[in-house]
Amino acid sequence: MSRRILAPVVGIIAFLGLWELFVRVFDVRAFVLRAPSRIVPYLWDNRSDYLAGAWVTGQHAVVGSTISLIVALLIGSAMAGSRFLELAGQPVLTLLQVTPFVAYIASVVLWLGAGTPPALFLVALVCLPAYTFATVDGMRGADADARELLASVDAARWEVLWRLRLPSAMPALFTAARYNAGLALIAAYLVEGGNFANEGLGAIGKRAAAFNEGDALWAAIFAMALLGTMALLAISLAQRVFMRWHVSQRPQRA
Amino acid sequence: MRGLTKDYGDLSVLAPLDLDIEAGSFVSIIGPSGCGKTTLIRVLAGLEPASGGDVLVDDSPPAVARSNKRVAMVPQQPGLLPWRTVHANARLLLDVNRSANPAGAADPLDLLHEVGLGAFLDAYPHELSGGMLQRVALVRALALHAPLVVMDEPFAALDEITRAEMRVLLARLVEGRGATVLFVTHSIPEAVALSDRVLVSSARPSTMVADIDIDLPRPRPADVEDEPRFVELCAQVRHALHGGTR
Repeated sequence: MSRRILAPVVGIIAFLGLWELFVRVFDVRAFVLRAPSRIVPYLWDNRSDYLAGAWVTGQHAVVGSTISLIVALLIGSAMAGSRFLELAGQPVLTLLQVTPFVAYIASVVLWLGAGTPPALFLVALVCLPAYTFATVDGMRGADADARELLASVDAARWEVLWRLRLPSAMPALFTAARYNAGLALIAAYLVEGGNFANEGLGAIGKRAAAFNEGDALWAAIFAMALLGTMALLAISLAQRVFMRWHVSQRPQRA
Repeated sequence: MRGLTKDYGDLSVLAPLDLDIEAGSFVSIIGPSGCGKTTLIRVLAGLEPASGGDVLVDDSPPAVARSNKRVAMVPQQPGLLPWRTVHANARLLLDVNRSANPAGAADPLDLLHEVGLGAFLDAYPHELSGGMLQRVALVRALALHAPLVVMDEPFAALDEITRAEMRVLLARLVEGRGATVLFVTHSIPEAVALSDRVLVSSARPSTMVADIDIDLPRPRPADVEDEPRFVELCAQVRHALHGGTR
């Protein structure tokens, strides 16, 4: 158990150490790349600003991806139940996935107004494809024998969905959640930079970039990284609780 | 269960087939691979419609029997849900479509103890051996108290030693329960040791080439396979099987 916490900490410290070393050895100028030894104290000195920003960004990401997950479960179960819907939905979801969302952030803000709504909308939108694909694949992959067994006692559709298909989709959904965690934070950050609300890490980062405040910008990036790490940790914990039965959660041999 | 008659022509998977199975009897179907035994089971369980003829399970068509939970299935693979404990898996068929649960259906706790899984109630499937998994699958089916139990080569994936144990266990479980059992197998000794009647099926399209009464007295001892009459019956089934494929 202690190894589970120790190993990531060692990994991060090693990475920061290499970074610091690189900046010092090659004498990289501060406007190109700042050394961690300069970013961390700045972040600490301004911690109340960054905590407030992280709180807003974290909320945008968590609420947005929760909405996304719920919508994806609905769309995904429909697509898993009908080949036609699946074929019809796939290209639309792929389109959503490959479109650079930075390009239409301004449109979303114009449409939904300033503040939280566009942030939630965009986060939900960018997380949708991965969650939906995971739902469809996971539900399709439900054990054929178990499906037949439930059919043999005339289990209702919702019973099969709830007792078999949804748990079967859990591993894929957790994988999607890891992938989406970063995506959701980035989407929230970018919308906050353009939603005229002056809230969240995105707003801090945008302002810092506009006024050429390198320390403030890099501190925002560090704060984002910390948020991301916490998100992944939370997902791992949830996975341990909800998927104790799964192969991935068992101690590995040799 | 009054018995079932069956008489239908399919895409030649099952040739027209007449069959009456007496309520409460243990009947095995044995035949070459791919001879449509599984199809027969699926039709009986109401999972596939018959393409012709009439099938009655317990005086009603399979679809009705299925929605009334009158048929319990033991599939080839245990098909346990990995996120459910042993106890919860054994309860699975009772947990869905609850309104149709038969009057006699009860929590399978006693049955689990009876098959020696009393210490594993809260274990997950990945912690059990193949034989234990299949025992859970047996209990899951029997817990339903359905008048018809269909088993599709339930021991096919087990090793020979476990298989022999399961044979004895199944005989003990079914004895005196009053359920009709239809048992599909590839093993002649298994069929003879367990059954009141062995039906020998031909290759596709499936017809019953022999119908052999197994007159070994019940309850049968664990060493029934050493009895001369047992060996004789096995030989009889084997001849029918080879005669049928030739």
